Amino acid sequence: MRSALPFLLLAFLPACNRPAPEPPAPAAATPTADGETLFQQHCATCHMANGSGVPYLQPDIRRSAWITAEDPQPLLKLILRGSAAMGEFANSYENDMPPFEHLSDADIAALATRVRERFTTPPPSTPITPADVATARQ
Amino acid sequence: MNPRNLPRLALLLALAAGPLLAAASLTPDPDNGGITLPDGFRAVVVADKLKPLRNIAVAPNGDLYAKTRQAGIIALRDTNGDGKADDIQEFGSGGGTGIALHNGYLYHSTDDHVFRYKLTPGELVPTGEPERIVRDLPNRRQHSAKAIAFGADGQLYVEVGSPSNALGQPDRALGAKGQDPTEFLKTHGGYWRFDPDKPEQTQADGHHVSTGHRHSTSIALNPVSKKLFVAIHGRDQLNTVAPQFFTAEDNAENPSEVFHLLEDGADFGWPTTYWDPREKKRKLNPEYGGDGTKLAEPGKFPDPLIGFPAHWAPMQMAFYTGTQFPEKYRGGAFLAFHGSWNRAPLPQRGYNVVYIPFNQDGMPTGDYEIFADGFAGADKLESPGDAKHRPNGVAVGPDGSLYISDSQAGRIWRIFYQK
Repeated sequence: MRSALPFLLLAFLPACNRPAPEPPAPAAATPTADGETLFQQHCATCHMANGSGVPYLQPDIRRSAWITAEDPQPLLKLILRGSAAMGEFANSYENDMPPFEHLSDADIAALATRVRERFTTPPPSTPITPADVATARQ
Repeated sequence: MNPRNLPRLALLLALAAGPLLAAASLTPDPDNGGITLPDGFRAVVVADKLKPLRNIAVAPNGDLYAKTRQAGIIALRDTNGDGKADDIQEFGSGGGTGIALHNGYLYHSTDDHVFRYKLTPGELVPTGEPERIVRDLPNRRQHSAKAIAFGADGQLYVEVGSPSNALGQPDRALGAKGQDPTEFLKTHGGYWRFDPDKPEQTQADGHHVSTGHRHSTSIALNPVSKKLFVAIHGRDQLNTVAPQFFTAEDNAENPSEVFHLLEDGADFGWPTTYWDPREKKRKLNPEYGGDGTKLAEPGKFPDPLIGFPAHWAPMQMAFYTGTQFPEKYRGGAFLAFHGSWNRAPLPQRGYNVVYIPFNQDGMPTGDYEIFADGFAGADKLESPGDAKHRPNGVAVGPDGSLYISDSQAGRIWRIFYQK
């Protein structure tokens, strides 16, 4: 049996030798995870796992007009550019939303599709595609 | 004196003394208003379902004043001594957080200005317009609450927070890069000292007392050492900015909310550093090259006197100057913790009021203990929006009762000790 020792040693490398994560190339066609996992990884920190937000600081997104809108482009621009895409609405809460443009088109498409499924009743029947995200980047 | 006036006189005396009646005569709420307290302590709900409340102040006659976050100031008077407010009125506008009584005036802050009302003895609500003492302080929404307090020098101390997490670009984003804080810190992230009687002062008219903090909503004067003490909110989102160095648990437990002595020239080390409560060391923020291990330059910034748990969010602080509470609680400070949001996905924490013992020299011993708890209404809280109550303001009444205000459901408790 090959020794597992080298792999164990790798696991204990000092933290300072760990490289920064490589952001996925925007054109990657496959999401790195399912939409719910991406929501929990990137959105739940500020909007909470149940989407209820933080009073005065970060919005409750459970009935957000950005999410329920028929046209997904405003939502996608918001995810890509953060508060910079919100106009006056950004002044409604104390903390700014950072941009998530470093996520791939596929990840943002999966994420946004899941967000609309969770927080829109009835959920839109048409999923958001990576091509929609590419359009929003322009 | 005409004997027929005696009953009327007795009634007038009882009404005047109502708010000052000994705690032994108060009837607590059966459930202490839903909170847990140490043995011997009880609570009565003074008022409930008011607007979201911020800091509070109690006058020598027991009248209570509470800032509302986005509206006016609520004035409350207990006319019959049962602990519950019977006369509740709102006055003023502008929202905000800070409030303090000083020399017959009620000072309060919006997120932009500091005002004062002249109080008329016996009148619950001040008449006339407020006078603006400090105007046009920096306000960029984030960390815009302006805590105020009076020092032993009688001067007005005002906080100006930093509208930022750790001055990263883009702030709170993966890989955020720290910006040069030099210009930024000239007008943000510190305490300023002003003349309490001079109207229309600008920030430039004030004396820049301290620098290098993110946001501080806790400032109080210890009457023994005559020193001001502050608590400061630590940064968020270590694992969002640098997931290669910090896990979600690392983030939930880092950095400390720090407790410091406020002195002229103090620099509390933000944005370049944070205090690690597990190793009790000051480290570099990832925005400034930190990796969870790199230490700050030794001796450049003060170690905190106390490192409170991460993300608990310290709010109003008040020194206990009464004698109603047992000896153990005299001379120290009560500090309200609003409660976390940035511990997710771990359960939220805080949502309590702690007691910080001070020694006979008016300095903290370094310890603290939870005094009042259960405000959140749930053991495993996922989101602050689900909390039943969030403690924000604390103030000590003339009889030695402790008042606590709630920013979530607008409740005010009066805590008292019954042998």
